Amino acid sequence: MVSSTDPPVAMAVARASSTAVAAGARPPQAPPLRRPRGLRRKLELTLLLGPALALFVGFVLAPIGIAIYYSLYNWSGFGPLSDFVGVHNYKLALSDPVFRSAIAHNLTLAALSVIIQLPISIGLAMLLNRRTRGRSLLRLIVFAPYVLSEATTAVIWSLMLQPGGFVDQFLKAAGLGGLVHLWLADPNIVLYTLFIVITWKYVGFGIILLLAGLQGIPAELHEAAALDGASWWQTTRRIVLPLLGPTIRIWAFLAIIGSLQLFDVVWIMTGGGPANASVTMATYLINRGFQSYEFGYASAIAVILFIICFVFSLAYQRFALRRDTRGALTRAVG
Amino acid sequence: MSAVLRSAAAPRKPATPTGARRYSLATPFTFLAVLAIVAITVVPLLFVIEGGFRSTAQINSSPVGLPHPWVWSNYTTVLFSSAFWQFLGNSTLIAVVATGLAVGLGSMAAFALSRYEFKGREALFTVFIVGLLFPIGVASLPLYLPLQRIGLLDNQFGVAIPEAAFSLSITIVILRPFMRAVPGEIEDAAVVDGATRLRFFVRILLPLSRPALVTVAILAFVMSWNNYLLAYIVFTTPSHFTLPLGVATFQTQYSQDTARIFAFTALSMVPALGFFVLAERRIVAGLTGSLKG
Amino acid sequence: MRSIRTSAALAVAATAALTVAACGSSSSGAGSGGASNSGSSVTLTWWNNATTNPLKGVWQQVAASYHTAHPHVTLQIDPIQNEQFTTKIPLALQSSNPPDLYQQWGGGQEATQVKSGKVMNITKLVAPWIGQLGSAAEGWQVNGQQYGIPYDLHMVGFWYRKDLFAKAGITSPPTTLAELNSDVTKLKAAHIVPIAVGSKDRWPDAFWWEYFALRECSTDTLKAAMKAINVSNPCFLKAGNDLKAFMATHPFQSGFLGTASQQGAGSSAGMVANGKAAMELQGDWEPGVMAPLSTDKTLNSKLGWFPFPAVTGGAGAPTTLLGGGDGFSCTTGATDACAEFLKYIDSPSVQKKLVGAGVGLPANPSAAPALTDDTLRQILSYSHASPYIQNYFDIAFPTNVGQAVDNAVANFFAGQGSPETIIQTVNQAASTS
Repeated sequence: MVSSTDPPVAMAVARASSTAVAAGARPPQAPPLRRPRGLRRKLELTLLLGPALALFVGFVLAPIGIAIYYSLYNWSGFGPLSDFVGVHNYKLALSDPVFRSAIAHNLTLAALSVIIQLPISIGLAMLLNRRTRGRSLLRLIVFAPYVLSEATTAVIWSLMLQPGGFVDQFLKAAGLGGLVHLWLADPNIVLYTLFIVITWKYVGFGIILLLAGLQGIPAELHEAAALDGASWWQTTRRIVLPLLGPTIRIWAFLAIIGSLQLFDVVWIMTGGGPANASVTMATYLINRGFQSYEFGYASAIAVILFIICFVFSLAYQRFALRRDTRGALTRAVG
Repeated sequence: MSAVLRSAAAPRKPATPTGARRYSLATPFTFLAVLAIVAITVVPLLFVIEGGFRSTAQINSSPVGLPHPWVWSNYTTVLFSSAFWQFLGNSTLIAVVATGLAVGLGSMAAFALSRYEFKGREALFTVFIVGLLFPIGVASLPLYLPLQRIGLLDNQFGVAIPEAAFSLSITIVILRPFMRAVPGEIEDAAVVDGATRLRFFVRILLPLSRPALVTVAILAFVMSWNNYLLAYIVFTTPSHFTLPLGVATFQTQYSQDTARIFAFTALSMVPALGFFVLAERRIVAGLTGSLKG
Repeated sequence: MRSIRTSAALAVAATAALTVAACGSSSSGAGSGGASNSGSSVTLTWWNNATTNPLKGVWQQVAASYHTAHPHVTLQIDPIQNEQFTTKIPLALQSSNPPDLYQQWGGGQEATQVKSGKVMNITKLVAPWIGQLGSAAEGWQVNGQQYGIPYDLHMVGFWYRKDLFAKAGITSPPTTLAELNSDVTKLKAAHIVPIAVGSKDRWPDAFWWEYFALRECSTDTLKAAMKAINVSNPCFLKAGNDLKAFMATHPFQSGFLGTASQQGAGSSAGMVANGKAAMELQGDWEPGVMAPLSTDKTLNSKLGWFPFPAVTGGAGAPTTLLGGGDGFSCTTGATDACAEFLKYIDSPSVQKKLVGAGVGLPANPSAAPALTDDTLRQILSYSHASPYIQNYFDIAFPTNVGQAVDNAVANFFAGQGSPETIIQTVNQAASTS
């Protein structure tokens, strides 16, 4: 059995590393070695991909397929699926005012994430990138809400947002009593209240992601810009942000997908209410499925949710992420 | 390893004298901003921790306030209840299994998708991305019948295995560019020296990918740890519940005992935060490499 | 590398251990019923909603004493969170081994479940003794066939604070809607929140609309509406308009849309318990819910009950009650032992125990003397005198229609839609069920 301390392998690693370093910017173009084609390679691929694919097909694709199957029926969840209705559930969903407002809520939250959470995350990441004392501790604190479960978050914030609860009392004590609202009871603001809770939970994740991206920016660039007399804002706008581009684009992708699929926090804090003012696609389908026993309809909503995410992700990959992944490898491997 | 890659990629410039302040934001501003961030992040957590030291009557009469007197029984009752430790054990078992499966199988798949050329590779990669697009909670219902047929209901594996499947997506998405970024020369050199590609994978690539592997492990672990809806549907026996279920259970079961809910919530935060402390450095290092690719 | 190896090893070990455990376990998992029909040992899995004492302890006693009397029958109790039942039951009835015995609220909800073909028809098995329960058992019938039995009954009415009424100068509870309105005014003048409602949970809102319907619609109309699953009769519209007029007097607490009904001191129950509101329209379970929400030891003596007031011009009998109850159903995989056990639950001795645990009103009238609380006795005798007890609509109707009622009324409370909208929504939901 070859181990990494085996002389031949170790030598190979050392040789390759030193070659890469010594060569500077570009590795030499060596002719591709002959790779074992045919059966051996197929076996390798099967072994590598097989288990993951099996797991994935069985537990991710199959449920999606089953959801599509259920969506074609009018089914209460009891007894056999006997009432085939074809695409009727889909037509119903697309004309359902509650579902439409759910979609609107999800899109609103997605837009708000990009417009509000992103600048906050970037600003905080830049702040935390500086060598301040206790930087590690700060990162821990900022990331902590992300690690909490959504159920815990919902419980904590529900209790804090009650009328006369912690938030209200704090505002009064700070002399901002005029800002007190019925955070979870007012249909006009409940969605935004939820957005604040979600921001609290997820901004840490964005910060960590952006911090990683910031640290990938070579220090020399900052120094060169400073030497050239660039101001902070100019440096940020012309160097940092563009180089942070790939990171920002990945963050935006995850944030938008997350907004489209939002469930746990909303479900526990408001159940989609009051009067559907905070309903999301996911809470609506659980409500119609498990509470109203309309599993066919709920499955149709699940499939529509999936299609929306899928279309978005395809479009995003094509337009936004394409240039980030082009040419990642220095040369082709077999 | 990332240092090697970075220096290989960027042209070198003469180093400027260190100690030069790059941009000046007035320090008081920074200080205030940091203070605000910490306050907003931490205060809700402190609220819960502190609430556990009060009695429900105290909380009812004055929602905001310090414990007066300090009540220890909430925390001790939760800590000494077998339910809490059962929940904790279940959560841990499920998270470990889900993470192990996701990272193990995901790294193999990412290797194949990053360093092999074959027809349909990009299409297959897109298929794996699909897992990101279908929330696991929503999949809980269609998962129920298959799980029941296999006999995995009310069973920790009935939760761990689907979680692993759903974590495959983010695992592959993060690992693939990272593995791609390893120069082909290293692989060539290994092959020249007689190692097979699989051995290269196990002996060289995986160790080199450690930061990214730790990152995806953490993400898979956290996702599993916090999962609510799938566990809710799969588990019936209370002794099989996981911590998030436990929190919601306490909220209805002891709905009148707000203080105990606080104590339980506070205690259930500890494992997650502790885990993060241990892994904190890895995440940043891990994400650095993958995002460059 | 090491971390992968360790977690891989752990996973393999865990897999092995748990596979053995999972394959080996038979009766420890939920839903493993279906024992043989011979006189040999039978284990019945029992899903009930008693997750807390005292009821949890009572059921355990009941199971133990039944086992002593019938040694070949063992009951295995799985307490399930009340809210989880709506999720668990359809899933369990789809599966191949649902629980043998599970919580059943009757009505159209039960009818929906019967469609699964897995609920046991116990008509013949309970025929010898079901008559003891009187008309209450009808609520657990589907098309005249018995598919479940009640073990307790509940009635909905007004719980009020006698001390707060006195403070506002109200000498006796209102008997007509006009009196209720004037009482609301008096309470507001005394700076007391007149009525608390847990609108967040939706079903407390529905109680209001349903009661107005009970006052405006005759008993025959109600029965026909339940049967046809249709609320087009103009009396329902009148009910909606009554509700609209009532709400225009702003009788509820501020922020009622976000108030839960039973959880925490900020809930509607908590408000009454802590003297922050004077009245609440709720079931007879409220004192039990209120007690832990307050430190007031004398709370019970301050609580009183009065029925929903009469509405002038209404076609409904003014003493009609809205109510329901808890019960159990057996599944087809269970043996006759399940039906035998149901008989035991409705026997006077067990019913008295349940009453003693404060579960509510007994399903078996012979246990009535065991009620010690005066208010509950008042409610029970009122229910016996009532000509008709209407099941809450969200139970009486098939589930999706019942949920539509709750949603429509809750939306109405939030200012969305009109009395007509409520009727349209409900009828529309009925057309797809």
